[in-house]
Amino acid sequence: MLSENKPLKLLFFLSVGLILAAFAMVLFYAPVEQTMGLVQKVFYFHMSAAWVGMLAFLVAAVCGVLYLAKKELVYDAAAFSAVEMGLLFTAIATFTGMIWAEPIWNTWWTWDPRLTTMTIMAFTYIAYLLLRRGIDEPVKRARFGAIYAIIGFASVPLTFFSSRLLRTIHPTIFGGNSGDMALTLQMYQTMAASLVAFTLLFAVLLWYRARLAGEQALLEALRAEQTEDEFGEVENG
Amino acid sequence: MKNWLHGIRTLVWKDLVQEWRSKDMLTAMFAFAILTLFIFNYAIELSPVNRAEIAAGIIWVVIVFAGTLGLNRSFTAEQDQGCFDALVMAVPDLSVIYLAKLLTNFLVMLFLTVLVIPVYSLLYNQSLFSLPLLGVLVLGAWGYAAAGTLIAGMTVQTRMRDLLLPILLFPILMPVNMAVVKAAGGILAGAAWQDYSLWVALLGVYGIIVTVISILVFEYVIRE
Repeated sequence: MLSENKPLKLLFFLSVGLILAAFAMVLFYAPVEQTMGLVQKVFYFHMSAAWVGMLAFLVAAVCGVLYLAKKELVYDAAAFSAVEMGLLFTAIATFTGMIWAEPIWNTWWTWDPRLTTMTIMAFTYIAYLLLRRGIDEPVKRARFGAIYAIIGFASVPLTFFSSRLLRTIHPTIFGGNSGDMALTLQMYQTMAASLVAFTLLFAVLLWYRARLAGEQALLEALRAEQTEDEFGEVENG
Repeated sequence: MKNWLHGIRTLVWKDLVQEWRSKDMLTAMFAFAILTLFIFNYAIELSPVNRAEIAAGIIWVVIVFAGTLGLNRSFTAEQDQGCFDALVMAVPDLSVIYLAKLLTNFLVMLFLTVLVIPVYSLLYNQSLFSLPLLGVLVLGAWGYAAAGTLIAGMTVQTRMRDLLLPILLFPILMPVNMAVVKAAGGILAGAAWQDYSLWVALLGVYGIIVTVISILVFEYVIRE
């Protein structure tokens, strides 16, 4: 599969290289934070994973709109793959967050609005996967999946907005007025590098996953055709 | 436009008459709501001290849970009797079906709310009769019905049906839940309008956004 598609292969190796480079920057280039110490370094991948999670859900919603407009199953495959990737990266963000929270907040989990809304968002997309499992017909599955991806994503900004109205203890990097996490230039550069690396990795994984989903759909269609043929013969005989 | 309104009115009337003749759903919803109230009494020690703040949350949870019973049934008649096709042919525009079902579910939710509030006031000896509170619950019921009607239209066509509805609905209802509980809690605690007005605005915005999106996508729920 790797050898078939030249640009995809190239992107694959590029993303691996970038991830390794970002990892090296996190370890050796970014300075150790004064108050939090080494554990702060988990932040670079934490934030990148959270960003990619959100991006993935946006991609799913956009693919949902495109599917409803054009009725091409490739958009459904892309949306489905994006949701899977989004859940994966959201899980990464959650676990890296826990690693940070244990020493800093002295607990693995707290009912902070930021954490809670992130988890609710994840539940939305777990529900998306369950919805798809409940429908056998591929076209209906694609339609309902698209609708739910759209309405689900519409509720995400509202959920996040409402969490901003509540008092949060989660550090904010952008748009916050608190100085609870001031970054130096090297830290910003490391953060930018991880963001780019993670975004590219997501794009590559999405591409592979969507191709796989496309093949699966084809296989499913062929199987359905074959069963039809068999039954047809029985009837004729 | 006249056709459109006429269609909505006819469909709402049909559903309400159908429900009123049997009262199956309303009875079940009301009984379920009261039972949940009793469960809460044991699950959470409702001492008179913290009661005021918790009341908003309890009332809303009771309404939301009982409401799923109604939502689950809102499309079953059409689905089971194979009337969807006839319905699609009868209306001038498919959004009529969505809006009619939305209105029916909204009215059912309001009816439930009107029944639950006096019972709660009686059982817990705390008067919940206040216009602002009712206003918040009305807005909440609209958001709930708007999202719920769309989801119910899809889940009724899936294999898992009623199982799936709450799983799909509750996560996307989260802004409504948060806003209703915060706003109603503020009202019951005697807070000033400025302290909870943002939550009321959020309820309004949610209701509008979800209703508009649902109207736009509902034809794909029903037709290939």
